Amino acid sequence: MNIIELENVYKNYETHGNIIPALRGVNLQIAKGEFAALAGPSGSGKTTLLNIIGGLDQPTSGSVTVGNTRLNQLSKKAISDLRLRKIGFVFQAYNLIPVLTAIENVEYVLLLQGINKKDRLTRSKDVLREVGLEKEMYRPPHELSGGQQQRVAVARAIVSSPDIVLADEPTANLDQKTGAHLLAMMRELNLREHITFLFSTHDPMVMEHSKRLINLIDGRIVSDEIHSKP
Amino acid sequence: MWASIKIFAMIGWRNLWRNKRRSLVVITSMALGIFAMLLSMGIMNGMNNQMVENTISTSLGHISIQRKGFQNDMKLQNSFVPSKELKNILSDIHDLKAFTPRIKMDGMIRSSEASRGVLIMGIDPVHEKTVSKILEYTLGEAAGSYLTDSEASDILISKTLADKLDLLVGDKVVLMFQNLQKEIVGTALTVKGLYQSPIDSFDKYVVYTGLQNLQKLTGMGTKISEISIRVTHRKQVDKVVEELRNSIHEPLFTILSWKEMAPNLFRAVTIFDTMMYIFFAIIFTTVVFSIANTLIMAIMERFHEIGVMKSIGTSPNRIGAMVLFEAMNLGIVGLVAGIGVSVLIIALLAYTGIDLSFYMESMRTLGTGHIIYPALKSKDIIASTFIVLTTTLLAALYPAVKAARIKPLEALHHI
Ligand SMILES: Nc1ncnc2c1ncn2[C@@H]1O[C@H](COP(=O)(O)OP(=O)(O)OP(=O)(O)O)[C@@H](O)[C@H]1O
Ligand SMILES: [Mg+2]
Repeated sequence: MNIIELENVYKNYETHGNIIPALRGVNLQIAKGEFAALAGPSGSGKTTLLNIIGGLDQPTSGSVTVGNTRLNQLSKKAISDLRLRKIGFVFQAYNLIPVLTAIENVEYVLLLQGINKKDRLTRSKDVLREVGLEKEMYRPPHELSGGQQQRVAVARAIVSSPDIVLADEPTANLDQKTGAHLLAMMRELNLREHITFLFSTHDPMVMEHSKRLINLIDGRIVSDEIHSKP
Repeated sequence: MWASIKIFAMIGWRNLWRNKRRSLVVITSMALGIFAMLLSMGIMNGMNNQMVENTISTSLGHISIQRKGFQNDMKLQNSFVPSKELKNILSDIHDLKAFTPRIKMDGMIRSSEASRGVLIMGIDPVHEKTVSKILEYTLGEAAGSYLTDSEASDILISKTLADKLDLLVGDKVVLMFQNLQKEIVGTALTVKGLYQSPIDSFDKYVVYTGLQNLQKLTGMGTKISEISIRVTHRKQVDKVVEELRNSIHEPLFTILSWKEMAPNLFRAVTIFDTMMYIFFAIIFTTVVFSIANTLIMAIMERFHEIGVMKSIGTSPNRIGAMVLFEAMNLGIVGLVAGIGVSVLIIALLAYTGIDLSFYMESMRTLGTGHIIYPALKSKDIIASTFIVLTTTLLAALYPAVKAARIKPLEALHHI
C-alpha cells in the first residue's frame, strides 16, 4: 500500500513577475514502512516537495495523496488536522516551542489530539526514552544541544504514531557523529514501529544509509534507486 | 478540550515572562491606570457622600414632616401644631434616632452697615443638636456660643455673614419678617454666637434663633413649619419613610425624604457616578493600544515558533486562543496588582483623609468640606474589573486574528 502518491506535480513560484519552476512533473510513490532519502543540488526542489506532501504548500497542478486523503481540495482546518494526526515534521533546526520543556513539547501533540493525561505522559516518556533523552526530559530547549533538540523533534514527530515522518535536512546542523546517531535512531524507529520516513539531505552518509535514494535535479526526479544492503 | 485550554494558558503565561521588562511596563501602566481610576472614583464617592451628608446635617435632615404645600411655598400659613400623638408615633419607630421641631421662614437681617435677605430658622436648641450638626459648626471661645434658650432674643449667624455685616458677638442686629397676619415685624436680637458650616451658600443665607422666641414674634403660638428627623443610617431613610407613611394618617401632612427635598442633589450624585464610569471606559481605551502594541511585538518576535506550532498541526483558532490567553494573563496580573495597590492606599487615605484646604474655597462652594475621605464601593471594583478585562480582550482581538492567519511556511523561513 502506498502512503504517499504524487501524480504529475508541478510547482511554480512567482516573484516580481518572474515564474520560477520548482517542481516540474514529479511522480512518486512511497510505500508504508519505507526509509527514503531525497537528494539533489541546492535549489533542486527537495524542500518544496516535502512541504507539498506535508500540506504546508500547495502544488500549482497535479495531485497529492497522503494516506487515503487527497490533499488538493482540503480546507485549511482539515489540512491542519491531517498534519496533527497523520504527519510528523522534523525541520533543519529550531523545531521546538521554546517555553515548553522537552517532555511538554512531545506531550503537546498528544494534547492537541485530546488524549488523556495518563496516556500522554506514558507515551511521551516512552518515546523520549527511545530517542535516549530520559535524563533531559524536563529541560527547556535552550538547555539542550542541537542534537538533543533534533532528537526531541523526532520524538515529537513519532509520538502520535503518524503514517509518515517528513524531515527536511534533519542532520544538516549536526556534526558527523551526532548526525549518524540521529539517523541510526530514526532507522531503528522505522524498523521497530514501522513508521515511514522521507527526508531530504545533502549528507553522503545519510544517503548511504537510506534504503531508497531519490535524486532531484531542477524539479525533476532523475533517478530513484532502492539500496539493498543493510 | 480543558487540557488544551490549560496548555495555551500555560504557554501564554510563560511567554509573558520571556520579555520581563516589556510585560512589567504594561502591567505597571495598567496598575497605575487602575489606581488612578479607583482613586478618582473613591474621591468622587467621598465627595458625593460628604456633600450629601453635609447638606443633610446642616439643615435638610434625613426626613421632614411638613404641612402639604410647605415644600413649594414656605409661608407661615403652611404650618401645624405638633400633637402629642405624633411625637409618640415618632418615638416608637425603630431606626429613627432623633427629631426636632423647626420654623423656617424668609426674612431680612440688618446691621448698621448693611442688610441681607436670609432664611430664618427657629430651633429648639436642645433637640436641634441631636438632628443637625449646628452645635458642632458653632465656633468656640471668643466667637460666642450656641443658642441655649429657646425664648431668648438671641441670634446665631455664620462667620461669613458676620464679616459681611461687620458684626461681632454681643452686637445687636435687627431681624425683619412678616408675621402670621402678614404685617412686617422688626426685632432687635443679640448675636450670641458664630458658626461655620462646610457649605458656603448655607453660611451666607441661614440664621438661627430660638423656636419659642420666633413663635412669639410671629404670633404662631405652638405652630411649627416642620419636624426634621434623623435616622440611624442614611440607608434606613426609605424604610423609615415607608413606616411613617403607614402610621401617620393625617391627610394634611406630607413626609419627605432628603432625596425628595433636594432632588437636584440626588440627581447630581447619580450623574457623577455614571460619568465616572464613562470617563474611565474612555481612559482605558488608551490601554487597549498599549496592550495591542505589546502583543503584536510579541507575536512578531515569535513568528518562527508560531510557524512551528502551525506546521505540527495547531489550528488557527488555537493560535488565536493562545494570544488571547496571553493578553488575559497580562490583564489579570495588571488588575490584581492595580486593585491590590489601590485598596491599600485608598484604605489608608480613607483613614487619614485628603486635605484639600489649598482648594478650600471652591470645596466650600461644593459643600464637601476641605478634607475628603475617599470611599471605595465594591461596585466600583467590579466595574473596573469588567472594564479592564473587556478592554484587554478587545485589545487582543486584532493581534489574535493576525497570529491565527500567519502562514506556517512563511513563518518557518523567518528565523
Ligand atoms: N517561497 C519561494 N518563493 C520563490 N521561489 C522559491 C520559494 N521557495 C523556493 N523557491 C525556489 O524554488 C526552487 C526550489 O527550492 P527548494 O527550497 O525546494 O530547493 P532545495 O532543494 O530544498 O534546496 P536546498 O538544498 O538549498 O535546501 C529554488 O529555485 C528556489 O529559489
Ligand atoms: Mg531545502
